[in-house]
Amino acid sequence: MEGSVSMEAILEINELSKAFGGLQAVLNFDLKVHRGEILGLIGPNGAGKTTIFNLITGFIQADSGETLLMGKNITLLKPFQIVNMGMARTFQLVDLFKEMTVLENVMIPCFSHRSKSRRQSGEKPWKVALHFLEEMGLEERLNEQAKNLAFGELRLLDIARAMATAPDVLLLDEPFSGLDVEDAEVLTKAIQRMHKMGQTMIIIEHRLRDLLRLVERVVAIVFGQKIAEAPPEEIINDEKVIRAYLGERRS
Amino acid sequence: MVNLENMFGPKVFYKRLMGLSIFSVLILLVPLVFSDPYDLELLFLCHYYVILACSWDLLTGFTGNVNFGHAFFIGGAGFAGALLNLHFGWGPWLTLPIGGVVAAICGLVVGSFTLRLKGPYFAAVTFCFATLLYKLIMIQQNVFGGEEGLSGIDWLSESTLGGYYISGILMLATIFFLYFLSKSPFGLILRSIGENEIASEGSGINTTYYKIVAFMISAFIAGVGGAMYAHAQMHVGPEMAHDSLSALVLIMAVVGGMGTIIGPIIGAYLLTIANESLRFMGEFRLLIYSGAVVAIILFAPKGLLDIFLRVYRRVVGQAK
Repeated sequence: MEGSVSMEAILEINELSKAFGGLQAVLNFDLKVHRGEILGLIGPNGAGKTTIFNLITGFIQADSGETLLMGKNITLLKPFQIVNMGMARTFQLVDLFKEMTVLENVMIPCFSHRSKSRRQSGEKPWKVALHFLEEMGLEERLNEQAKNLAFGELRLLDIARAMATAPDVLLLDEPFSGLDVEDAEVLTKAIQRMHKMGQTMIIIEHRLRDLLRLVERVVAIVFGQKIAEAPPEEIINDEKVIRAYLGERRS
Repeated sequence: MVNLENMFGPKVFYKRLMGLSIFSVLILLVPLVFSDPYDLELLFLCHYYVILACSWDLLTGFTGNVNFGHAFFIGGAGFAGALLNLHFGWGPWLTLPIGGVVAAICGLVVGSFTLRLKGPYFAAVTFCFATLLYKLIMIQQNVFGGEEGLSGIDWLSESTLGGYYISGILMLATIFFLYFLSKSPFGLILRSIGENEIASEGSGINTTYYKIVAFMISAFIAGVGGAMYAHAQMHVGPEMAHDSLSALVLIMAVVGGMGTIIGPIIGAYLLTIANESLRFMGEFRLLIYSGAVVAIILFAPKGLLDIFLRVYRRVVGQAK
């Protein structure tokens, strides 16, 4: 919580809805994310958290509603266009370029339009990629094929890949899942460093202990609808959130 | 700070250039040993198939979009070159690049419509385009000559040796270009698309654009190869647009090793020479040839290049 948060809404989601057949995955979801903020998105399994990520990054088309990134409507854009506008994401089920080396995995986004335009002239893509690998503590593994990495390392690699697109908004989908204590510490420190540098982030996470010490604000959703929005210390005592996670008391 | 100059610096470039240069010198010196016209004709065929297999490999081997209709570009450019030569008197030096451009434009059109399709759908559509061209050639006899094709096209070269060198230089140009392209950021991006298109898009890569450009380059080179073959044979027939040619090119690349550019060179040389060498076996030739191809695909699914590299690494490892 060290970075400075401005009141400018860098990301604005208005009335976003999506149904899969008879299942309403997301319903009239609204959200404003401020520049420099780390926002937590929580909810039980199947609440629609990843669907929201998929909707706002263009991997799934919304039925209705709109997403504005820095005031520009990105609702109908393709995933690569959204990345080049400044919003990148990691994936819950990490599935990267398994036959490629760790370094090559992070070099790919360095060839995106956005990354190229932000690179200083003459700066080599592999140097940029190496910087993000060092951030995630993976520099010793750079020549290893991604398929040989442990699951936790793959998560860190996925974050390094997303960071290499030079995003204004970074969406992390369960980044702590599968990480051991050591890797979780590396990630926590990396997120804190990024936050200090003003990086805006939305984090979906089930490991609330890891999440709540990082974020300034938490949004809780159930059945695709927002049920609570508050600072971490308040959200853990919120009746609706407790009910969503633990269920109703019988009597 | 880790130093990666050894991986990306000029040394790596020169090492690769050295390897290809040695191969080029060998190609230039081969006629000193094999000067018989039959041998040179056979080697011409090898050059032709290397051009086709390597060009096919750029799209399919790297992006995973299986092109079952490479003959569409080969035959299309062959007929375009032949028609331009017969009707306007344009020589091979014009019809070869024009044939390539015609094929690249076809690649742009076909690719724009089909490269959004995934898996078998793309393969099926490319197959249909080649079949359409084949049928068109058969139906429009007054234009394409039907089953007989078109004859009386200008020589590629008056001598067999000249044909060998022209095809050899075109093959080397293809290999140099495609090999270095495959080692460039463009090649890395194509590989990423082949491995995981969603992650590639999620990394800010316009995958459709890269696939279309790869398809156009692939088609251009196949087109130049097709026009070259038409001039070398002084004839172009419907077999140049037949699906058996598409299948043969595919098999050559698979046998050698897809997604490597070097693998298809091995596959094209091996299968072209094997096909000729087995002629003494008469009717058993096809049986043995096909059986060997099936065995290679079964026991070396990543191609012969992968086997060679594994043996090489083991030998080098033991020597160290």
